Amino acid sequence: MVLIEYSELETLIGRIHEISGFDFSGYARPSLLRRASRYLTQHTMNVKDLLLHIEPGGGIVYDLIQELTVNYSEMFRDPDFFMKVKTDVFSYLESYPALRFWVAGCASGEEAFSMAILLKEAGYLERSIIYATDLNNKVLTAAREGVFTLGNTRTFSENYLLAAGKNSLSDYYHVAYNMAVISPEIRKKIVFSLHDLTGDGVFNEFQFISCRNVMIYFTLELRQNVFRLLYDSLSMLGFLCLGKRETLRYSGIEQNFKIIDSTLNIYQKIQ
Amino acid sequence: MNIKKDDSLSLVLIGGSSGSFVIFEEILKLLVQPLSFAIVFVLHRGKSSTSVLPELFRNRTNVFMSEPHHLDTIETNTVYFAFPDYHLLIGPDGRFYYDLSEKVFFSRPCIDATFISAAFSGIPVKAALLLSGSSADGAFGVKVLAQKGFATYVLNPKDAESPRMPEAALQQYDKHTIIYKSTLIKVVQDILYSHAM
Repeated sequence: MVLIEYSELETLIGRIHEISGFDFSGYARPSLLRRASRYLTQHTMNVKDLLLHIEPGGGIVYDLIQELTVNYSEMFRDPDFFMKVKTDVFSYLESYPALRFWVAGCASGEEAFSMAILLKEAGYLERSIIYATDLNNKVLTAAREGVFTLGNTRTFSENYLLAAGKNSLSDYYHVAYNMAVISPEIRKKIVFSLHDLTGDGVFNEFQFISCRNVMIYFTLELRQNVFRLLYDSLSMLGFLCLGKRETLRYSGIEQNFKIIDSTLNIYQKIQ
Repeated sequence: MNIKKDDSLSLVLIGGSSGSFVIFEEILKLLVQPLSFAIVFVLHRGKSSTSVLPELFRNRTNVFMSEPHHLDTIETNTVYFAFPDYHLLIGPDGRFYYDLSEKVFFSRPCIDATFISAAFSGIPVKAALLLSGSSADGAFGVKVLAQKGFATYVLNPKDAESPRMPEAALQQYDKHTIIYKSTLIKVVQDILYSHAM
């Protein structure tokens, strides 16, 4: 495994910014260090080689940025979270004629597909639109295709059943060439688009925002800006969901929310 | 990044998988308040086993135990457990960071991730211990710590319920101090309560 020091990481961050304009300065260093080290290991090079190879207009810097910003997810990750949304959140949404959901930092679409299935089973999907955004073009392309390996779907199915899914997950995909393809009825209610939480602004108003395990990649300072953006994008009494090990602490907006579930990190905007 | 690190902070890192639980329980019984360091325990466990370790161990020790949240400040006199289904990293600012990249050795948390992040954090590691387990996870991490000059200890593979983990560690680096089951308590007491770094 190729290891790198924090000082070398800072040099790399500076160089990437210089060449591509992409700014990693607001990204949490410990996970960036780990990702950079993994990138170097996979490409069998050290930081010096990499710094020599990335150049303006070249493909390497683009590839590097994609690799460093890829997020990992699963369908129905944390089944208890989805159960809680179903029991404690959906009832609030009953009265809205049209519902807008935002999956911020959607990776390859797993969370968005899960939300769509959950809404479908609760009878809300027809009047819902899910906006699923990510800053990483490569994962968005994958998300739009909605294709997963059968190995992945095994884990997803287990999660789905633990989340008290009403059917079988395989009701929502079909198998082609040994891959699982999410069905059109689920995909048609999801709009995948490019959006960088750290730079782009508010683009709609939502009743529900899921931004789970995304902000763990940002520094404390940048995180506060992103929290502000999420707050501004939520309608009054709308819901904000974070990952299990995240908190609203140090967010700057904690006083504007009511806690729906402190373990599963579900909050409701009250002011 | 703001560096607001507590200068007195030092870490004791313990990694393990199958067969490590009982040994860790023994170690917990040896703890006497107040600890001048933080203990971080990375144990492979299934993602469904949420927030039970502090509960399980509650009657073993009166030292404060926690499954930290992202960005929590690492405090001395505390035992931390890596939360299942995330990698737990130690930041140069003395805070915990979670990472959700893919599993390593089929494991999340992976021991290497925590150990390597500690090695590069600039926070002194009083000791790192690698116990029993059936994968090679932790072997590389404990080597990196040793090469950074920290004291590293590996359970004697013959004394381990699952020898693969300590075996791999000793194959990758043969200068770790070996802990034998018969002298475990004495060695751990020496590690925890010696003033040497």
